[in-house]
Amino acid sequence: MNANAAKSNNKVPDRLKKGVRRATFRGVIKNRSLYIMLIPVVLYFIVFHYKPMYGAIIAFKDFKPFLGIGDSPWVGFKHFQQFFESYFFVRILRNTIVISLYQLIFGFPAAIILALLLNELKNQIFKRFVQSISYLPHFISLVVVCGMLIDFLQPDGIINRSLLAIGVIGEPINFMILPEWFRIIFVGSGIWQSVGWSSIIFLAALSGINPSLYEAAAVDGAGRWRQMLSITLPGIMPTIIILLIINIGNFMVVGFDKIILLYNSATYETADVIGSFVFRRGITEANYSFTAAVGLFNSVINFTLLVLVNQLAKKKAESSLW
Amino acid sequence: MTSNKLKETASKMALALALVMVVTACSGKSNSPAASPSASPSPTSSNEGNEGKPEAGALPIVADKLTLDTWVVSDGNFRGQNYNEKNSFVKMEGLTNININWIQGSGADGVEAFNLLMAGGQIPDLVAYSNMVTEGPKYGQQGAFVELTPYIEQHAPNFKKILDNNPELRKLLTTADGEIYQFPQLNLHEYNLVQMYPQIRQDWLEKLKLEEPKTIDDWYTVLKAIKEGDPNGNGIADEIPYVAVNLQHIIRTFGPAFNTDWEFYVDNGKVKFAPYEAEYKELLQWLNKLYSEGLLDQNYLVDTDFKFLTEKVTTDRAGAWAGWSGSYMRSFTDLMSDHPTFKLVGTEPPVGPKGEQRFGFHAWPLGTVGVAISAKSKHIEEAVKWLDFQYSEEGIMLNNFGEEGVSYEMVDGYPKFTDAVFNNPEGLNSTESLLSYTIGGGMWSTVADERYLEQYDMEEAIEAKQKVGKYINFDKAFPPITLTTQQNDKVASLLADIRTYRDEYANGFVMGNRSFDEYDRFVQQLKQMKIEEIIAVYQEAYDNYLGK
Repeated sequence: MNANAAKSNNKVPDRLKKGVRRATFRGVIKNRSLYIMLIPVVLYFIVFHYKPMYGAIIAFKDFKPFLGIGDSPWVGFKHFQQFFESYFFVRILRNTIVISLYQLIFGFPAAIILALLLNELKNQIFKRFVQSISYLPHFISLVVVCGMLIDFLQPDGIINRSLLAIGVIGEPINFMILPEWFRIIFVGSGIWQSVGWSSIIFLAALSGINPSLYEAAAVDGAGRWRQMLSITLPGIMPTIIILLIINIGNFMVVGFDKIILLYNSATYETADVIGSFVFRRGITEANYSFTAAVGLFNSVINFTLLVLVNQLAKKKAESSLW
Repeated sequence: MTSNKLKETASKMALALALVMVVTACSGKSNSPAASPSASPSPTSSNEGNEGKPEAGALPIVADKLTLDTWVVSDGNFRGQNYNEKNSFVKMEGLTNININWIQGSGADGVEAFNLLMAGGQIPDLVAYSNMVTEGPKYGQQGAFVELTPYIEQHAPNFKKILDNNPELRKLLTTADGEIYQFPQLNLHEYNLVQMYPQIRQDWLEKLKLEEPKTIDDWYTVLKAIKEGDPNGNGIADEIPYVAVNLQHIIRTFGPAFNTDWEFYVDNGKVKFAPYEAEYKELLQWLNKLYSEGLLDQNYLVDTDFKFLTEKVTTDRAGAWAGWSGSYMRSFTDLMSDHPTFKLVGTEPPVGPKGEQRFGFHAWPLGTVGVAISAKSKHIEEAVKWLDFQYSEEGIMLNNFGEEGVSYEMVDGYPKFTDAVFNNPEGLNSTESLLSYTIGGGMWSTVADERYLEQYDMEEAIEAKQKVGKYINFDKAFPPITLTTQQNDKVASLLADIRTYRDEYANGFVMGNRSFDEYDRFVQQLKQMKIEEIIAVYQEAYDNYLGK
């Protein structure tokens, strides 16, 4: 209350200002244990997220490791220009956007749908069984998952053999070297691995809906479909919006570790994203400045997207991150 | 009261310190018995030819024990924890009084580990790396590694002698600006130059009543027969006629027959980039024919790990490949010792449609492995002396064969490996056991001794190496020379793009993902990606190298 008043009024009386300050101070003292618990988190962000931002200036320099960040010569936007003119610029941008979009369109609703389906189950034992099965893949290491995928999708692997056996295909498909299959494999396996885990948060939101709403709806003659549309979905909408914002904030960050484990030069065309490109050029070929420029470009897009979506959500859905 | 407490702590600390000293003294002593018996004859062997300068080449290098930090990528076949477990280094420490603190990087080839080390800027005294031949000068020119020329003159008599006797080697090692930045591994004997050569299942050839393939057409016939003739006799056509772990190995084996190569090569003094030349298309078309008929491993782009290839060979499915003598031919033969007929033969490099025959998969006298010294090291002089010791007669013996009486015996002047290596009591295979006695002459800054491989290689390998060795042509291969910083800045990024593009299209053409109708566009795109400028830079570097 006080804080709002102070903000909205330009001519704030000193007395009030002091009051605000005193109130804040008292609040800190009162909740000191909470603030103490906050310290490690703040330190973590300073050390691992804010301090390294200083290193981003190598995007504007010709970074030579031995000269250090400070002494490497400035080159302005040379690396950005090089990236925008690169043959691969359009392609990796397109791949990043397309894969992210696939993940958002197919992956994001999948968790919600699973949560809604589980919610409708009456048999508690079966419900828990399905839930456990669905989130188990989350605990398998990515490297193992990719190894399994490669093995299953080989020309003489289990998937090709099954498809041949039931006569869907006449010739084995070498999935891993065909560009047109990459995105499907990547996004599909991603959904398989994460859908159960992601649905947990929605299940939690579902349990927060007041049961009397359902009872009232039932009395009014609403069927289960109607109840889901009019009660369940609006009930978890704030959670959906927040998660959507967070997801869009990471829109341009495609898990490049998984890309690297699954792609090869025959599938670069659809598989190479900004993250994997940065990894190849930066770590394997040691072009640090160039890749820092590419990474910075990526982060700027992400940041812009996050702000835009948040604004939109604030206006349209009245729930937002800040 | 406080002063009493202080005294107490101080005395406790002194006690602890004393204990530590006793312990270190003990561990120091435990090394010496191994080292002392042979410590006496050493100065005579390594002091030859520098009577004028008593201090150069003299042992021990330092009076008080000195520790040098050395970064190295662990060899996957080494079964120990620390390189100081190798007898050769224990002995070296006794002789030189220099202790090496090994900092072991990880990773298959260590590229990422090395790049991160260099980017971190905290570089230990010595850095050993598998691709020092290009990385040494690159980082050296940036000031990370010491310029060695003056040090070699003064403190490295053994190494200097080798360079003086091999002017070609000095030419290769010296950068365009006249500097030397690393102590390289050296292959001074022709036998050590042969790397991966074509190997084929001899027993399958016999079964199918076929001769060893000579020409490209023979290769096609043989691979086709392996595919269709069911040589492993299990009734299923599961044979994979030719296996590989990447396109580079395939092209370096078959490319020269089409008068082309993997990347840069030289044609009558003119530097060429293989994918930009017409011959490359013929090669890819031929490979595409193999691939589409199932004669080439359908999974070579996915199964890039050597263990996949091993599996294909040991499950009796693979027919031919390009491989090393040890890790391929010998180890496969060992693994298949239960098989009734398994036998491999190395073939000559294939003859192309125009009669071209060249062996392209060879090393240069200047190996790619090397050790460089950090410019920030406080002990540059001692490090140079220690590295020079690696090139002394004694150092070469230690690095190649290990310690005399333990891993080898001198029989009529020939260093013969003992049973500790070839019939290891702990059941290690010969590669693994050898590495617990020495680092291996082919993997360290020293001279590779051909007598090491002569014993290590199987008879079939020795024969094969002699067969293919004749077809090495240094005038056609692009030498391992380095670019200046300016040249490198100009081409590095462009070439990185081109390589990605080349990988994608070359593999696409071979696998049939791309039609050869697109080939002209591929070449056109290379031009747009400024390949001609890059070739010009490489030509400049090559001319400069020839002119030295």
